[in-house]
Amino acid sequence: MITVKVEKKNQIFTSVQILGHAMYDEYGKDIVCSAVSSIVITTVNAILSFDNKSISYLSSQKGLSIKIQKEDRITQTLIRNMIRMLKELETKYKDYILVK
Amino acid sequence: MKFLKLEIQFFAHKKGQSSTSNGRDSAGRRLGAKASDGEFVTAGSILYRQRGTKIYPGNNAKRGNDDTIYATVDGIVKFERVGKDKKCASVYPVAE
Repeated sequence: MITVKVEKKNQIFTSVQILGHAMYDEYGKDIVCSAVSSIVITTVNAILSFDNKSISYLSSQKGLSIKIQKEDRITQTLIRNMIRMLKELETKYKDYILVK
Repeated sequence: MKFLKLEIQFFAHKKGQSSTSNGRDSAGRRLGAKASDGEFVTAGSILYRQRGTKIYPGNNAKRGNDDTIYATVDGIVKFERVGKDKKCASVYPVAE
């Protein structure tokens, strides 16, 4: 199961951790993993397109950890949108992704 | 920070991460013919290594307890047909 941990301070997103494996199907056929990967990677690259220093990330076997360095509106909006989409995914695949 | 590569199976269980309990095999037993048809062999020579009786013992040949067929006299090896679908290995002494 993929676990998405969201941290906020005064209504501002400060970090997002996406850890674990979906285990929906075998490698190459895991549509839940593919959806999460696409949502997260698109958001990270979009934010970096606007401002290369507004976030930093750490990618490992366990997953992806995103640290939000700046509180600018674009970054916060894109992160909020990412989380909203991951929550929508969770409603349909709750056995494979958990957003908390 | 660099852009992330679009790896759409980023959060998937990577291939090869899980272990398997298979992967063992015993060494080959090198069965089969050890003397060819028409070959001269001495008494006691092994003619055929086998499991069960693919080949039966014919003239001047015997079957060991591991079903190996061996010669009981010096002579020329002959693989012959027995009945409809059986084969046997015989040894015929060379006429002096």
